Amino acid sequence: MEKELVYLYDGSFEGLLTCIYEVFYRRDDPKNIIPHDDIEFSLITEYLNIQTDIEKFKKVYNSIEEKISKDFLRSVFSIYLSEEKIKGIIILNYIRAGFKYGKNVESYQANAHVREASKLEWKVKVEKHRYLGLIRFKMLEQGVLYATIEPDHNIISLLGAHFSLRMANEYWIIHDIKRGLAVFYDKKQWIIRSFENNGILSFQDNEESYQNLWKTYYKHISIDNRKNLRQKRGYMPTRYWKHLVEEGG
Amino acid sequence: MDVLNKLQILADAAKYDVSCSSSGSNRSNKKGGLGNAEAAGICHSWSDDGRCISLLKILMSNYCIYDCAYCINRISNDLPRATFTPDEIVDITINFYKRNYIEGLFLSSAVVKSPNYTMEMFLKVVKKLREEENFNGYIHIKAIPGADKKIIDSVGRYVDRMSVNIELPTDEGLKMLAPDKNYKDILNPMGEIKNEILKYKDERRVFKNVPKYVPAGQTTQLIVGATRDSDYKIINLAQNLYKGYELKRVYYSAFIPVSKNPLLPRYEAPPLLRENRLYQADWLLRFYGFRAEELLDENNQNFDLLLDPKCDWALRNIQYFPLEVNKADYKMLLRIPGIGVKSALRIISSRRFGKVSYEDLKKMGVVLKRAKYFITCDGKYSGIKSMDSGLIKKSIIGMDENLYSQQLSLFDLNGGILGGERISISV
Repeated sequence: MEKELVYLYDGSFEGLLTCIYEVFYRRDDPKNIIPHDDIEFSLITEYLNIQTDIEKFKKVYNSIEEKISKDFLRSVFSIYLSEEKIKGIIILNYIRAGFKYGKNVESYQANAHVREASKLEWKVKVEKHRYLGLIRFKMLEQGVLYATIEPDHNIISLLGAHFSLRMANEYWIIHDIKRGLAVFYDKKQWIIRSFENNGILSFQDNEESYQNLWKTYYKHISIDNRKNLRQKRGYMPTRYWKHLVEEGG
Repeated sequence: MDVLNKLQILADAAKYDVSCSSSGSNRSNKKGGLGNAEAAGICHSWSDDGRCISLLKILMSNYCIYDCAYCINRISNDLPRATFTPDEIVDITINFYKRNYIEGLFLSSAVVKSPNYTMEMFLKVVKKLREEENFNGYIHIKAIPGADKKIIDSVGRYVDRMSVNIELPTDEGLKMLAPDKNYKDILNPMGEIKNEILKYKDERRVFKNVPKYVPAGQTTQLIVGATRDSDYKIINLAQNLYKGYELKRVYYSAFIPVSKNPLLPRYEAPPLLRENRLYQADWLLRFYGFRAEELLDENNQNFDLLLDPKCDWALRNIQYFPLEVNKADYKMLLRIPGIGVKSALRIISSRRFGKVSYEDLKKMGVVLKRAKYFITCDGKYSGIKSMDSGLIKKSIIGMDENLYSQQLSLFDLNGGILGGERISISV
């Protein structure tokens, strides 16, 4: 029996695009492309470990930008941020379709690979958009705004860009406690670092009073005659509530 | 009275205004400033009634000199009253914004002392926010009917959106329930704001540094069910407002009894389904190329509560159907029940590469359980045997016994999130 081929990479975007380079170069047809941390032992699988190579990464990156589009590159990056197990193969198929159809590839919705990729991209973008609203900062004693999140997908880098424009004149940290990552912003630039917070946080004196004002507002803005918890949960699934001040987070 | 108590009273007083959208403006942050506005709008939370919270929606004051029967803040109503100072409003807005609770401020007010006095107070708030605090988030202000053009203009230079609430769709309704208001006072500022928007737009074409004037446009709100006005009158008015005053949105608010005034109708519950039908019709006017007089007419003045307005139209015009999805043009595709703007565009773009199959339609997001009665796909018809509108109607309504609840869940999640609007509806 012929074994199924699975490519392994180091989990980085550069590593993933290096794999794409190798697939094209070797004319392989792998069953999946996964980070080597996610390896599952199996008798029928042959694993091929690919070393991340910045030159090969750049070649793929540039030719996508040139032959397809910059937006397409952004879509691929969004899909890469998803937690979907077969995202590697979805990206490979999407890039293949991109080289075939060119810059309007996302309009070829009749193609199953394009559809699958669009769906996954949509999921990541929806979660990102949700978090633009659902992040709650608390003012620490040191004058730094601090927020915790636990997103389904690894969207922290997408959030950094938004808040660096909006809160340009503040110090802030957005902490993904599920993945142990955080964005730090120092009024000039933002960076992503792995981060664990083991200490106890202390807040500015008036932090609690603003939280109380917000909770009060939240309660009083709802119209009792129109109560509709199902609709509320539809828009704002309960898994997000843990970090919302107004829901006791 | 402390700020917390005031906030309770003045949030309670503001909640019946449905508009909360923060969309339509792309104001960018300035150096050393706080905030920007996202064109698509962002929802920050959802309250227990399922409505999106995007802006801090409060009244500046609920001490009103008017006595409108439908309004909770009328002078004759016995309820706790409060007034924020401009500083208090600015402080809450800035601190809520920094914590990412809100997208900006939506400030309205009862008419305190006089329309001009009330607008002067608004001006103090927006000036302080923009000039002293360097706040560049979203600001929506209510223009108070009867205020001078000059003061409305000054406020307009600082805000993203302005709105004047019409509330009651006819002058007779206003005379009966809101004796202090009249149509002229409401429509005048609307016309003036529209003209100023156009003037500033023209000037910006020549001079880049002309400030923006109400970049997100103006909106209004109509109360549904406080008077006997028909749906036909309401959507006709909406159509005129979109055309004549270039409004961005007309909001419809199911009347919630806040008073026992004998002039007002009694309801067990607010007429939410009727409100939903009006929103669906509003969508048809704005995005589907329908005209109000196609949807309703003198003999047919109210929407069928059992059918959405588009289905209702299709059944009354059954001679146009079934349409072949591989041939119909975009305009006609939009008129097929179960096909929305997105799926119509998808059909058009994928027809370039080959025939669209019944299976494809499903994948493109067409609601086939509705569309199947009105289409053929590659010549094949999958509805019921005859094109009799009565039979089709029966079949559509009988499809789901929980039609009432199903209709209310038509609120489209995706539109809600990405549109940044309170609701969007797939028709």
